[in-house]
Amino acid sequence: MKKAKKFSTASTILTCFFVVLCLVWLFPVFEVVINSFKENAFVNLEPFALPTAESFVGLANYIKGLTFGNYPFVLAAGYSLLITVVSVLLILVFCAMSAWYIARVNSTVSKIFYYLCLFSMIVPFQMVMFTLTFTADKLNLNTPWTIPIVYLGFGAGLAIFMFLGFIKGLPLEIEEAAAIDGCGPVRTFFLVVLPMLKPTLISVGILELMWVWNDYLLPYLVLDRTKFMTIPILVQYLKGSYGTVDLGATMAVIMMSIIPIIIVYIFCQKHIIKGVAAGAVKG
Amino acid sequence: MAKKKVTNVNLVQRPIKKWAPLFILPTFAAFCIGFVWPFLQGIYLSFCNFNTPKDAKWTGIVNYTKVFSDAGFMNAFKNTAAFAIVSIILINVVAFFIAYALTQKLRGSNLFRTVFFMPNLIGGVVLGYIWSMIFDGILKQYGTYLTANGTYGFWGLVILVAWQQIGYMMIIYIAGLQAVPEDMLEAARIDGANSKETLFKVIIPNVMPAITTCTFLTLTNSFKMFDQNLALTGGLPSVIENGAKVNVTELLALNIYSTYNINKNWHGVAQAKAVVFFILVAVLAIAQQAATRSKEVQQ
Amino acid sequence: MKKLFALLLTLAMVLSLAACGAKEEAPADKGENAPAAEETGSVYYLNFKPEFDEALQGLAKTYTEKTGVEVKVVTAASGTYSDTLTAEMAKDEAPTIFNIGNMSGLKDWDEYALDLKDTALAGELNTDGFNLYNEAGELKAMGHCFESFGIIVNVDLLNAAGYELSDITNFETLKACADDIHARAGELGFDAFTSAGLDGSSSWRFSGHLVNMPLFYEFRDDGVVEQPATVTGAYLDNFRNIWDLYITDSSADAKTLSTSTGDESKAMLTEGKAVFYQNGSWEYASLTEAGLTNLAMIPIYCGVEGEEKAGLCSGTENCWAVNSQVSEADQKASLDFLYWLVTDAEAAQVVVDQLGAIPFKSAPESANGFLADGNELASAGNYTVTWAFNHTPNVDSFRATLVTALTAYSADPTDANWDAVVSAYVDGWAIEYATVNG
Repeated sequence: MKKAKKFSTASTILTCFFVVLCLVWLFPVFEVVINSFKENAFVNLEPFALPTAESFVGLANYIKGLTFGNYPFVLAAGYSLLITVVSVLLILVFCAMSAWYIARVNSTVSKIFYYLCLFSMIVPFQMVMFTLTFTADKLNLNTPWTIPIVYLGFGAGLAIFMFLGFIKGLPLEIEEAAAIDGCGPVRTFFLVVLPMLKPTLISVGILELMWVWNDYLLPYLVLDRTKFMTIPILVQYLKGSYGTVDLGATMAVIMMSIIPIIIVYIFCQKHIIKGVAAGAVKG
Repeated sequence: MAKKKVTNVNLVQRPIKKWAPLFILPTFAAFCIGFVWPFLQGIYLSFCNFNTPKDAKWTGIVNYTKVFSDAGFMNAFKNTAAFAIVSIILINVVAFFIAYALTQKLRGSNLFRTVFFMPNLIGGVVLGYIWSMIFDGILKQYGTYLTANGTYGFWGLVILVAWQQIGYMMIIYIAGLQAVPEDMLEAARIDGANSKETLFKVIIPNVMPAITTCTFLTLTNSFKMFDQNLALTGGLPSVIENGAKVNVTELLALNIYSTYNINKNWHGVAQAKAVVFFILVAVLAIAQQAATRSKEVQQ
Repeated sequence: MKKLFALLLTLAMVLSLAACGAKEEAPADKGENAPAAEETGSVYYLNFKPEFDEALQGLAKTYTEKTGVEVKVVTAASGTYSDTLTAEMAKDEAPTIFNIGNMSGLKDWDEYALDLKDTALAGELNTDGFNLYNEAGELKAMGHCFESFGIIVNVDLLNAAGYELSDITNFETLKACADDIHARAGELGFDAFTSAGLDGSSSWRFSGHLVNMPLFYEFRDDGVVEQPATVTGAYLDNFRNIWDLYITDSSADAKTLSTSTGDESKAMLTEGKAVFYQNGSWEYASLTEAGLTNLAMIPIYCGVEGEEKAGLCSGTENCWAVNSQVSEADQKASLDFLYWLVTDAEAAQVVVDQLGAIPFKSAPESANGFLADGNELASAGNYTVTWAFNHTPNVDSFRATLVTALTAYSADPTDANWDAVVSAYVDGWAIEYATVNG
């Protein structure tokens, strides 16, 4: 324990500076909060004004936002959640398995796969987006239940790369001991290796989570958007419609989409920040 | 890769090999569907005129000649390059100094860290929407608006992206700074180095790996920027310059996307643009890695 | 270094694979269009008009209950129809009925559209005026409703300001009246025009519809009937006349029209804060629901000679096309469904209520007051201002440039800024034409 090392004036000034900076940082979110309680007409007119007796509409925007744009918010949120959870789980389990295989089996297949993964990391999504749409449609990967396969495919590169970096540092002796004890590869992996991978699992999981949850273009192009929307697609959809743009309700939709993430963040911020720091792999 | 030879690797390796279908097949199959096949098909289609892959007709390099004579694409390239340079410098410098300050036993530094990271949790489309409202609100006071000219749109995007990514890079820098060996700092202090000297002679060389990572990430992020660009200005304003049409604030990724949507005659051109874009990103990424790698080795 | 080499090797491998893949690929999907197993066929209607969605879904359900034929109705979000259509057409389960908006749309989708000439549906039409024909003279898309736009007037307010509808017969009288109302806005409590918002939700009223005035007149003079490669801009001064009127005789701040929305503009009318509001017959239902009872639609006057005899701007962007690439059973099911829509008494009533007037023999009269105004003008011998803007090449892009220029001009109405509008119109047209056809 370090005893109160008496904070100098310089550090007090710095603290004050950071307090101000944080307020600036939070301002955009604050802006959404106040506007989500204002009547539509006032959002555009006086975007920075606090709700007044005249402009305050209570929860009306939120109630409207739930069914706004002829697409229920809850449905979009549900699809977003479904896609994110399934995709991240798929990526974690299957990429960890593949990475372990690549690390432990020294074969041509392993090598090809490894270099393909490396390669895929430098390919921007734009390169494959049009063709991916055709393939996904042909194979019926255009529903929220099947699109995680696309995410597994497109997200495999980074995930395998990160898992590999960690697995290479694991002592082989433990696995050998398991093998000598008669443990088959499947049991060895799930009972011995996977638990050891926990820090990387968290790290990869968080990075993929942030990617999939906020992803706009991939689901927009791949999903059958005549039926399915995710939250980012819904927000973009609300923004562009002829004649009616209900800014108040849109702000409420944005609020409803941000609140769950902020709650998760507040509870898991230690893991998230650690995950990001650990995930910053050197390529 | 191989650091040291493990003698009885076969004990582990051989049984796993038998389980290859379980361990790598699912990922590999998905990888082929989600990446390899679309990639190959993309290269093929960039030489075609197509509406769907079914009706693709081979046209040779026509699409590529159109790419390089397209004023919109060239403008988008310039924008992207300028945007990348500005945002790499701005984000990294600010993120580094915030990280540096936050590691100096500052009261409330955990709270600050939490706040600065927060924008990363919000998607690019939503961010673009929020910021366009803010910028328009501010500019309104001065009787103008965000899409009035390219300058507002450009700096608007820079501010948005800085606001979003500084927190992320800060986290990486903090990790890097915390890894600076305490005894080296102690030694510098004993040698009577002032804080400036310590920063430049001890700390920065030691956080070089973090700097490499962060510049790499900001570089690729800026080149691939799409959602924010779409939602903030959508490429507007849209003007005619020297007899050609240009979306002034459009970046490369958005330009590719909107080219595809002109009509089916442009599908092939959009795909060719995507190939050019891929090569550009790949070359930059490899070059950046090679350059910083050699620097790290020297130290 | 070794890693880099391996990476390049992988790249080379991938590329050579690509070359192989390319050869294999072309014939791969040929056997696709196997005849559908079921004989009845089904309908997939990709709807263009969001406001028609709800009613159409109901009609589809009724039809399925009556005939057992499955009808799927999907409505694209506003402004995304062409994206959605492109995406949907690439699918195995492609739309069987889709919308073609104009001639340039027909160019894109000609090979996907069935010739409708000898169908029972075509026999029900009472006018050929809204149909789209390809170069071979085949009826590829059928105009199935028509709409009018002009200047919507709150007649009660106009009277309150001391004017009658009949006082306005051309641009001069419109300007005199609007200028006067604007000058007395403080005392009257309302202004002349609603805001000419240039936000995405409102700008199409001007970049799409208002621009029809200069296009129509120059096409009339030059005898243009097909999409021209260039336009002259001969009537752009008239366009400027009316635009200046919109932005000066209004309480909206012309400097920040870029963020002014369609809702705001409409609210100014429904709340009684403005007399004139440029929009179309599709607004009739919602305006009357908002409590406005005494409304009229007058032609857009912009100072063209002889415009006293002008009528409303009437036309359509709603043309049915049947996908020729789907199975014959599906094509037949689609045609049957459309036939039912316009001939069944109840269904046709719903369609008319939603779409306004439809050009089919057995269809009921429309109750739309704005369309009635249009008919009245037409029967008084006034010429109809057709939708010349349907010829616009690469329409979204053309409009974006025009909106940029108009917004800048409105904030600072100088001649130099007007030149940019002229350029967006004249050069923009040529560029977009070359883009689409080049």
